[in-house]
Amino acid sequence: MNTGNEEMPLSDTTKQNLRELRDAAVELWWRFFDWLAVVPWKTLAIVSVLMLVLGGILQSPQPFFILIVASFIIKAVAGGKRRADLTASQAIQRADTEQHERAILEAHLAALQAQIEPHFLFNTLASIDQLILTDPPRASRMQQSLIRYLRSAMPKMRDGARPTLGQQVDLSRAFLEIMAVRMDDRLRTALHVPAGLQSAVFPSMMLQTLVENAIRHGLEPKAVGGLLSIQAEVADGKLAVHVRDTGVGFAPQSAAGVGLANIRERLKVLYNGRAELVIGVPADGGTCATITVPYEIAAADAA
Amino acid sequence: MQDTRAPTAVIADDERLMREQIAARLRDAWPELRIVGEAANGREAVALVRSREPDIVFLDIRMPEMDGIEAAQALSGSAHVVFVTAYDEYAITAFDHGAVDYLLKPADPERVAITCQRLRERLDTRPEPMGELLAELSQRLAGGAARPRDHLRWVQASVGNGIRMIPTSDILFFRADEKYTRVQTGVFEALIRKPIKELVDELDPDEFWQIHRAILVRVDAVDKVSRDDRGRQVVTVKGSGEKLEVSRSFGHLFRQM
Repeated sequence: MNTGNEEMPLSDTTKQNLRELRDAAVELWWRFFDWLAVVPWKTLAIVSVLMLVLGGILQSPQPFFILIVASFIIKAVAGGKRRADLTASQAIQRADTEQHERAILEAHLAALQAQIEPHFLFNTLASIDQLILTDPPRASRMQQSLIRYLRSAMPKMRDGARPTLGQQVDLSRAFLEIMAVRMDDRLRTALHVPAGLQSAVFPSMMLQTLVENAIRHGLEPKAVGGLLSIQAEVADGKLAVHVRDTGVGFAPQSAAGVGLANIRERLKVLYNGRAELVIGVPADGGTCATITVPYEIAAADAA
Repeated sequence: MQDTRAPTAVIADDERLMREQIAARLRDAWPELRIVGEAANGREAVALVRSREPDIVFLDIRMPEMDGIEAAQALSGSAHVVFVTAYDEYAITAFDHGAVDYLLKPADPERVAITCQRLRERLDTRPEPMGELLAELSQRLAGGAARPRDHLRWVQASVGNGIRMIPTSDILFFRADEKYTRVQTGVFEALIRKPIKELVDELDPDEFWQIHRAILVRVDAVDKVSRDDRGRQVVTVKGSGEKLEVSRSFGHLFRQM
């Protein structure tokens, strides 16, 4: 109380020093504690013997003896818990990193899948160019389909909402409208997607990849063309989406296609074994690709 | 007399609008040119050119049945070829160095006029056979470098009550089983009729190794190789834990491992 104002700074410094000292001691203690928790019993025993010898040399074995006994008790009682805590926090950190990595991987794979095939774009523009001269209203309808297709095929950066089956079907419908104009009577389409499944969660661009494959590898190579159908159903809590074509069928030598490999990889990342892509061979020819994912309804606030 | 001298052409494209477009542009740029036929695929194009013997054939590159390059190979020397494409980056760079002309869709009237001018100049000469250029083109279109295209990448198998295509990358091993061959993936097993002997020839030898007369294992699926109590080499398969015996004659595969 009598200390003058001039001495206050000194006192502050001392307090600071004390605080640092205390922090250092606490730090040291926890390090010691961590070391105790993980050190093998055998090592602890050897260290104890050395400490006893040191105590003997210093001729005051008692404090060392107490320290040793305390160490053994601490290790026995708290070591396991401490170690479990450490392992748990490491696991949480690892899980966070993993989840983060998965999110990045999925974004990357989804962007790859969203690439628009230049061949499709240029051919469509060439068709519109021709229709402008011969059938302007039809040219306008085709251009609108192209705009709708491009708008929904562009990867959405800001939108955090999960894509729905309805959006994915709309995208493929726009694509099929364009292809129907280009392929004439060589392409017939049938969509069977119940209204109730429009809001089901379904990953982006996967349906479209299957539709593009069905056209490019199934129907386009066939001179007479054929039927492409999209069908969705829910069974046993799973949403199955089938894309079927009556085209030339699946060649076992085809290099698997980047598209299908990408879908498989993304399903693994997104659903961790709870989703699959199956390429079926219908008895009457063609190909039927099916994606099955857990059935979930997208959150209502997504709109 | 003049009529028989009028130059003739066939247009081949699988999309009707594109055939109409080329025909319309040609009418404007070269009114004397007679379009004597239109084809919707490569095979039709070849048949039409053989029956109508036009001076020129316009060939879309991507067509069903037979693509434009294959059609040109089949027709080599029988008509002047102009390729038509919307977008084929590899092909276009090849055309730039070759004697063959090409048009990009949508056909630009000025560009069509240049093509017609070149064709007029060439009409008196015989069409050049373009074997080498076409071989290069078809290779470029196939994906550039010598990519092994003919190895089996999918196996057709009965699973449950349907038939499906299983990617070879999902398969852990094949094992001969009486009349059938068992296909084991990490999730299920299926039976196929194709014997191991045929699979050995058809699969990528870098992807699957034969370790026994009756067993083919995917190299990436091998977890470890050990010896059993009788001293025989045994392969443990990842994800299934199943052990597969290695016969003596294939033991050398794992010698350096």
